[in-house]
Amino acid sequence: MSRPSTLPITLGELTRIEPLSDAVAHLFDPARPVEQVVLAETFDRLRRCPPHVLVVLHDEAATGGWSLAAALHLAWERNLSAVVVSRTVAGSSSAALAERLHMSLIVIDADPIDVALQLAGQVSAPAAARALRQARLAEQLAEQNGIRGVLGALNRELRPVSVALVLGEIVLAGQAAALTDRHPVKQVEVAVNAPGERSSARLVAAVPVPGLAVGQVESLLKLARPAVLAAWAQSRLDAAGRAAHEQAAFELLRHLSAAPPAGPGEAEVEVPSWTGELGWEVGRANRAVWLAPVRPSGVPSPEVTHLVRAAWQRGHAAWPLIAEGDGWLSWHSGADPDDTAALRRALAGFRDSAAAHALVIGVGRAHDGVPGLMRSAAEARLAAHVAREGGPTTVQWFDQVGASAALAWLPTTEIAQVADLCLADLMAARDRAALVQTVLAVLDCGGSLSQASNRLGVHRNTVLARLTRARQLGLTFEDPGQRLALHVICYALASLAAEESTP
Amino acid sequence: MTASIAAEDVPAFYEGAKFYSPAVGDANRSSVTSWLAGLLDRNGPVPLLKVESLAPETPCVSVCVLGSGSAMADLPPAGDEFEAAVRRIERLEQTRFGAIYPLAAATISALVAVVTAAQLGVPLIDADGMGRAFALIHHTAMHLAGVSPTPLAAVGPTGESVLVEVPSGPRADRMLRANVDTVGGWAALAAYPTTAGVLRRAALPGTVSRIANVGRLLLERTDPDRLVTRLGAITGCRRLARGRIVELEHLSRPSDVTIPAHPSSLVVEEIGDLERQLRIELRSEIVAVFADGALIAGAPDLMCLLDVSRGSLATLDSLEPGDLVDVLVTPADAIWYSPEGMRMVGLVSHGIPLAHPRRR
Repeated sequence: MSRPSTLPITLGELTRIEPLSDAVAHLFDPARPVEQVVLAETFDRLRRCPPHVLVVLHDEAATGGWSLAAALHLAWERNLSAVVVSRTVAGSSSAALAERLHMSLIVIDADPIDVALQLAGQVSAPAAARALRQARLAEQLAEQNGIRGVLGALNRELRPVSVALVLGEIVLAGQAAALTDRHPVKQVEVAVNAPGERSSARLVAAVPVPGLAVGQVESLLKLARPAVLAAWAQSRLDAAGRAAHEQAAFELLRHLSAAPPAGPGEAEVEVPSWTGELGWEVGRANRAVWLAPVRPSGVPSPEVTHLVRAAWQRGHAAWPLIAEGDGWLSWHSGADPDDTAALRRALAGFRDSAAAHALVIGVGRAHDGVPGLMRSAAEARLAAHVAREGGPTTVQWFDQVGASAALAWLPTTEIAQVADLCLADLMAARDRAALVQTVLAVLDCGGSLSQASNRLGVHRNTVLARLTRARQLGLTFEDPGQRLALHVICYALASLAAEESTP
Repeated sequence: MTASIAAEDVPAFYEGAKFYSPAVGDANRSSVTSWLAGLLDRNGPVPLLKVESLAPETPCVSVCVLGSGSAMADLPPAGDEFEAAVRRIERLEQTRFGAIYPLAAATISALVAVVTAAQLGVPLIDADGMGRAFALIHHTAMHLAGVSPTPLAAVGPTGESVLVEVPSGPRADRMLRANVDTVGGWAALAAYPTTAGVLRRAALPGTVSRIANVGRLLLERTDPDRLVTRLGAITGCRRLARGRIVELEHLSRPSDVTIPAHPSSLVVEEIGDLERQLRIELRSEIVAVFADGALIAGAPDLMCLLDVSRGSLATLDSLEPGDLVDVLVTPADAIWYSPEGMRMVGLVSHGIPLAHPRRR
């Protein structure tokens, strides 16, 4: 345990504990130290105050109207820390004058003499006052049960210090201002990890200096650490449970839509009532979104799912996110199938996270009901496969895909292995990339040499020469029996080459 | 210099008298001015004499209106109250007054002094006891010079009268106030019977002709900037600030016991480079002006508000948030800045224990 600070207590600290915690504080500088408390009942007493004094007005000095204005002016002349006055005396113009004079004004309801006595005790024993503040903070933290609540309480209590919970460089909760160092601030960091656990999560606070006791802030952050850990663990538990629940529920929906209708009259699959409990909306025009890693590597880990869920559901807490195969499925239900504004906004907001996790996004068309949702989900998944060609953050709408979507399903790696066996000469050639590209262009252009040379940007004779060499190496594409197979092989090899050349 | 006051001088006289007591409303305007103008038409102009031009042994008496101006509007004078009050003292002192002077050359009191002089057929002395209006009858230069206000007579609109004979000025005021309500809410007061020789050293000279001159300026209705410059030449007045009224504060605050008034505040945001917050303390008049909490003017200075859009003086009962006003300050007569004067009518008497800006 570090030694308690004996620096003078600041205005910000005083206004966090009784008796000023209930007061209305117009603080100009919360980091301003308070060295002494004076109960002033005459203007003469005010005139004799040394700087850095907090003055409590009373009796003659607090008769209202002019007296508070004159007292504020004197306080400004004497460089006092703050003026405390009873509410019966302070009008709105007094607060305006205090702001104009850069003077802190604190308006109380309690008796000024009692307040002055309590404040004098606190100012003369700053360590005791700080201990009181820690106790108050501990009480507040105990009442919070979410990360946001804990960080909110910290930021409220430590103002003007901003505090954030940071994982790597990502702010999970709190004020992002804690990471910026525009003002003269000192950053205080406290690692947040359970015993034996390695984690890069930490509480970061930006403390304005000079003025605030950095050690004091650090001990308050440490006080908050167990609360943050508990809230975080709870939220991870909740998230895991919810993810499993959603996955099961979606699987059930899929079975429902696949089962044949019970009778000839029931063409429609009724939306089960339990979807409402999950906060899902199904039944109106459903448009599915498929989020997938640009390079699939099996089922994503729960941690990644947790992060993607947090990013996707920011601002759209009701939108589902279901881990499905190598990606995640979500959907948006609306009355108007053509209204995509909300979805487009969400996609724009998700862009940074998509870049961070190297994700691509496929969007299906809008269809009605549960079967419609399943259809849209399939479309979205297909669109996501097509989107992989564009690299991370690509968004592909199924409407714009068409039949070429089929190509996205080609097992290009396996086809390349076939080429290794069947076209060994070609695969061994050093210029095979140019040859494959040229044959693919000619086939794509229906055999037109001039179109192919335009597309490749080379001379027609070059195209002719390459075709001759390709034929010698086994690419006999004029043979109608082989043309489709060779076309597919060329497509697969060209896609692989393009993929290898992208980082 | 005005050697006499004629019927055509009455409107200017009224305006000038209002300048020196800006708190008073206009309730009496038409009745009193037409009464005075009629009298002057019938009896001829009232001579206005310097006190030095009178023989030192000439007996003189001051008159004024005691009590509330709105009560006077409700229960107008029968016409003989002031004459009766003067005659009452004449009978008691067994003398015949040779001249009248106003107790205060401000408010309606300045006009009733002319009325009384016209009725009695005697000249009016170009001097008064206050040089503006103060709240109590012993707030006079004569009191400071040791002249007793008594014997004094107060005659109400009911025709009833009160005669007060006490040795101390402050006692006289308390006894009178207890009777004013009973005799009709206001009373015609004749007080400070003395001689012209005493007035030469005890009264404030030139104050009656001054209000006539100020009134003529105010009636011209020029633009506010030029008006303030011209007023400055006659009265020494200057503009403290121009601003917009943002707040009227009626706080129930402990009031001092000496002066009957309800404390309240006016907050004005200054327009211009400084943009100060002005706080104007009101009692029955403006008693102090603070700029950002610093006292910049206070009683016995005479402070008034000039309505910039109308180019006329704003009375305190007509103020509204949003009004654009010039805050003007006019120095009072020098005697009021003496220690005795400050004790009587200075900031302390209004419960503001701060050093006056002119004496810092």
